[in-house]
Amino acid sequence: MNPATIGIIGIVVMIILFLLRMPVAFAMILVGFAGFAVLSGPGPALSTLSRDIFTQFSSYPLSVIPMFILMGTFAYASGISRRLYETGYAWVGQFRGGLTMATVLACSGFAAICGSTTATVATMGKVALPEMKRYNYDDTLATGTVAASGSLGILIPPSTIFIVYALLTEQSIGKLFVAGVLPGALLTLLFISTVFLVCLRNPSLGPAGPPTTWRHKLKAVSGLTETVVLFLFVIGGLFLGWFSPTQAGAMGAVGALLIGLARRELTWRKFVSATKDGLRTACMVIFIIAGAIVFGHFMTVTRIPFMLADWMTGLPLPPMAIIGIIAFIFFIGGFFMDSMALTVLLIPIFYPLLISLNVDLIWFGVIVVLLAEMGVITPPVGVNVFVMKGIAPDVPLESIFKGILPFLVALIVCLIILIAFPQIATFLPGFASY
Amino acid sequence: MLSKLEKFSRWLSGWFEWIGMAALLLMMVITFIDVVGGKLFTWRLAGSIDIVMVSQAVAIAFAAAMLLILDKHVQITFLVDRLPKRTQAVTKSIIHFLELGLFILIVWRLFVFGHYMQTGGEGTGTIRIPLYPFGYGMAIALIPVCLVIILRLVNSLARAVGR
Repeated sequence: MNPATIGIIGIVVMIILFLLRMPVAFAMILVGFAGFAVLSGPGPALSTLSRDIFTQFSSYPLSVIPMFILMGTFAYASGISRRLYETGYAWVGQFRGGLTMATVLACSGFAAICGSTTATVATMGKVALPEMKRYNYDDTLATGTVAASGSLGILIPPSTIFIVYALLTEQSIGKLFVAGVLPGALLTLLFISTVFLVCLRNPSLGPAGPPTTWRHKLKAVSGLTETVVLFLFVIGGLFLGWFSPTQAGAMGAVGALLIGLARRELTWRKFVSATKDGLRTACMVIFIIAGAIVFGHFMTVTRIPFMLADWMTGLPLPPMAIIGIIAFIFFIGGFFMDSMALTVLLIPIFYPLLISLNVDLIWFGVIVVLLAEMGVITPPVGVNVFVMKGIAPDVPLESIFKGILPFLVALIVCLIILIAFPQIATFLPGFASY
Repeated sequence: MLSKLEKFSRWLSGWFEWIGMAALLLMMVITFIDVVGGKLFTWRLAGSIDIVMVSQAVAIAFAAAMLLILDKHVQITFLVDRLPKRTQAVTKSIIHFLELGLFILIVWRLFVFGHYMQTGGEGTGTIRIPLYPFGYGMAIALIPVCLVIILRLVNSLARAVGR
């Protein structure tokens, strides 16, 4: 049997293991190890297994992941999310659908200090849903807004998916982070426009809240201060080359911790809980990366990624059509797989192809993240929707998915705009020095 | 007996997670001290990168068992959850059996790798922290993972045979 056939069998076995509910990381390690053993012999496979796991667990470039995750969990424990929501509420709460617009804005703000979609949904859901319920907002609109806006967490820097993508494609984390800023702002605007249009069509979905005075509005701006300062310090420091990515994450985590202490919001219990949450998420992500590395070694000896690159570049198709096919595979994969797992699985396979097509990998990273955002809100594996369901157990899952549909359209519009005008993603990274 | 073992495995995993948390916080503190020292006082903490690397290995390995107990690993659940209970138990038994084989292999190889690093005198790049204790440590940290999987395997086998 030739290596490519063994590789294809390995991929099929891995998908079967995924479907039988083996954790994605374990399935990748198991199949990667077994496939490597078949092709290169048990001795090299056994040595590679322990070396790969030890090397990834102790990898300094990967240490950026726990640091940024910790920054997000400390920011949550420090009550930053509640103050962000209050600011948004003071400014747009009196409009029709205003509370949902405030939710989008607050999610966007929280995304600027947290790199995870689920953390953003969990955080903002707890803050925003009770308020929207109080003002008789429609459950479908309310839950759909939080679940969809939470996906901004991976587009607006810092972002765990950007970090992992950067490590897999040898791109600058700093450049990828700043590449997400303008698309993140664009998507925030598109989400707000979506809420406006939905409420224009059916005003009863989002009744206007009580008006606020200008004094109240200006006073509420102070709720933004800490987020803006932390974001500028961390992402600005990375952008200007003051910090390496790991240093930026650690400084951000310490900053979020200090904000919590200064605000007297961070109790010992919250601190322990935030550290545990951060550790567990980091452990989950690094296990998946270790799995991807073991699996990647197997793929390399099968030469499948290189054969795929040769075959696809030989097709009588323009590069944009090939990129469209890759994006479509990501889009379909997002229905069935976690976005992080999908990224670590597919990027190494398509990387040689992307290189041979001379694709701007920073721009493509933003496209991948947008597709990942769609993945986290679409059934059957829409992780944001499940987190939302956990916060609003009385709202049927179907209603949450229904509420997401208009935002999915906004995401597709954003994707089309970014394909038509890649400068939106590539303009700022041109100025980054790290 | 089984419930006692489950309690013990949770207790041990809980303690290991505390070790992981301490290592994670150490990564943050060391990096913070290095940055503040470097930027404000032109004083760099020698070996900060080395300490961060080995701390991360400890943090991730020691959190692994609790992560498994809490089912925090990414899994695709929509298919198996729709199968009849007995079929679910059978598929789970097969999966846990494979997982157990994999983790026994990983633990064994990490001990071997630790020994290899010990005899080769391998250390970190800057301040030459010996790496072998971390190889052994990772192997030990993953033993409770095997224990958690054994317990799950026994439970799913019991369900599969209808007990």
